[in-house]
This record gives sequence, C-alpha cells and structure tokens, in this order.
Amino acid sequence: MSGVYVYAVTRADHPLRLDGLRTVGGTDEPPRVLVHGPLAAVVSAAPPDLRPKRRDLGAHQELQERLMADGSVLPMRFGLLAPDDTAVRTALEAKRDDYARRLGELHGTAEYNLKAARSQDDLLREVLDGSDEARRLNQCTRDGTGTYEDRLALGELVARQVDARQRRQADEIVARLSGLARASVLADPSKDDFLNVSFLVERARADEFGEAGRTLAQDYGAAYDFRLRGPLPPYSFAA
Amino acid sequence: MTVMTQSGGIQPAATSSGSGTAGLFDILELILDRGLVIDVFVRVSLVGIEILKIDIRIVIASVDTYLRFAEACNRLDLEAGRKAPDKLTDIVGNLVESGARGKTSGAIGGAIDAIGDIFDRDDKDREDER
Repeated sequence: MSGVYVYAVTRADHPLRLDGLRTVGGTDEPPRVLVHGPLAAVVSAAPPDLRPKRRDLGAHQELQERLMADGSVLPMRFGLLAPDDTAVRTALEAKRDDYARRLGELHGTAEYNLKAARSQDDLLREVLDGSDEARRLNQCTRDGTGTYEDRLALGELVARQVDARQRRQADEIVARLSGLARASVLADPSKDDFLNVSFLVERARADEFGEAGRTLAQDYGAAYDFRLRGPLPPYSFAA
Repeated sequence: MTVMTQSGGIQPAATSSGSGTAGLFDILELILDRGLVIDVFVRVSLVGIEILKIDIRIVIASVDTYLRFAEACNRLDLEAGRKAPDKLTDIVGNLVESGARGKTSGAIGGAIDAIGDIFDRDDKDREDER
C-alpha cells in the first residue's frame, strides 16, 4: 500500500534534526518533513504489513525523543497511516490553531510515567491484620477445613479490601507528586500494578520531581516496586 | 532518555537512547494507547497487543479471583510476616530503571497474574471450575 506513516506534529520552526533515524517498518527512505503554515509533520513512506513490532515501536519512540530534545512535539499514537502527503496537510490545516496552541502549552515540559506495584503478601498481611473476620475465615479454611462458602467469603472480603487499599494508596501517591507537576492523567494499571499515572512536568522542575519520586519509593519501602520513567514525549498530554 | 535511578541510589541511568532496551516495556502502552490521533487516518491493527490494557477491575469481582485470594491468604506465613519489617528496615524501596520487573513480579499476580488465563477459562464451561 502507498501512503505515509505519521510520527509527530511540531512547529514549523522546530530544528527537526532527523539524520540517522530509522523508520517504522525499516523502509529505505528516511523520515522527512511536511511543512504547512506554522506547523510541520514528520512522516515516512508507509511500510507494507505494518505491525507493532518491538523494532518499530522503538523507531517510533526514538524519533519522538530526538524531536523533544529540540522543542515541543505532539507525538502521534503508534500506527497512524495517511493516504498521502495531501491528506496530512489537510489534517494539519483542519486543526491548525488547536495544534499550535497545544505545542505552545507543552513548551518546556515532558511526561513522566509512574507505575507502582506492591508485594501481594505484604498487602494481604495488612488486610488480615486489619480484619477480625478475615482472620477468622482464614483460620477456618487454612488447613483444608472450612466450606467452599467460607473460602469464597474470605476471598471476597479480602479482594474488596485489597481493591480499597490499592485505590487509597494510589490516591495518596498521586497527591504527593501532583504539586510538582502541571497536570496528571490516570490510566488503568495493568497486571501486578495498582497505579499507572502520567505527570506533565516542567523541565525546570524535573530534578525536583525525580527526587520526590525517589523519596516516595523510600518511604513506602521494600514491599513496593515503583517504576518512574521520564522525561518522555508527552503522549498522554498531546490529545 | 530515562533519568531514573536504582533503589534510591545516585547514579543516573546513562541510557543513550532507551528505546531499543528493555525500557520500552513500561512505556509500551503510552506509545500504543496515547498520543495524538487524527481521526481520518487509518490505524494499524494491534491484534494480540490489546490484552495489555484490560482493566484490572473486571477481574477483581469474580469467583475465580475470590478463590485465588483465599488461597493466597491460606498460604501466607503470618509469623514470618510479622518479623519481616524489622529485617527490612534498612532496605529502601525500589525505584527501578530497568523495564525488567522487580521482585514483586508475580506477586499480586498470584491473584490477577494470568489475565489471559482467566479469560480463556471464561470460554469454557464454568462448571469445570467447581
């Protein structure tokens, strides 16, 4: 299929150093720039059979990193294809003021994503410590005795407690860091995590923010696993 | 790319360009699920990757999950747990740079770990579980 893969929108006066960057799909032609009025889009020839392979996700991300080093960028979601250059220009024209405004708002900022998990045993101990009923049910189902209903009741009680405590802690953690960020966006945590939040942080406060993250991780202790990533292209704040 | 440090430590991660590294894992959902979208453009199919963003809450309220939690409680060594805090006082929390999962991996997972697993079972006759 012909067409173009679209990476990002920037201001037209962005330096747009694209030398040496690989493309999504590993196509021969390097990424190139389409300028339209005050805006620019970075595109490359659409690869055939585009799939979200690790290599391609990496190429998409690397290009954003390069762009964000020199100015504001609106990173596209991975995998967007336009039929041709004209369609890209039309799209820029349609949202021209909107994109220009957002690029201005994002100036001098970056995204930081924080994910947090907690050791299950640690959490379960806390739940059992805090509930006579859970301890009683645990005791009577422990050695294989107790009924199916007992086990179900224990599980339901504990699951609710786990959920409530995780939500509360997620709120606490976000509250501690929000003061250092300009904005935050919560997302669904996946797998073991109980928190997945992105912050928009001014570069001038990046060190302070990172330090706050480290302090937070220390305060919560070894039963927790915090993964703070950044500075990232503002994926969560581009739309 | 990344600024993060290990275990409250000092050394900034000197990742050149983090993308090719394991670090990609933790930001996968940002690249795939966020970012600017232009409606008139076509989006590549992400079949097989969508599983990542299944809401954990869907899984919480199921009989299967309750039984897993009950089992996890039954297995818990309560005495060991009481002593643990003393032993661990000096160990700071983990703030990991690497995309590789830390020690807690598979922990909460005891209950929610195999999301795919749970969904597979939904396809079978529920009576099988009893």
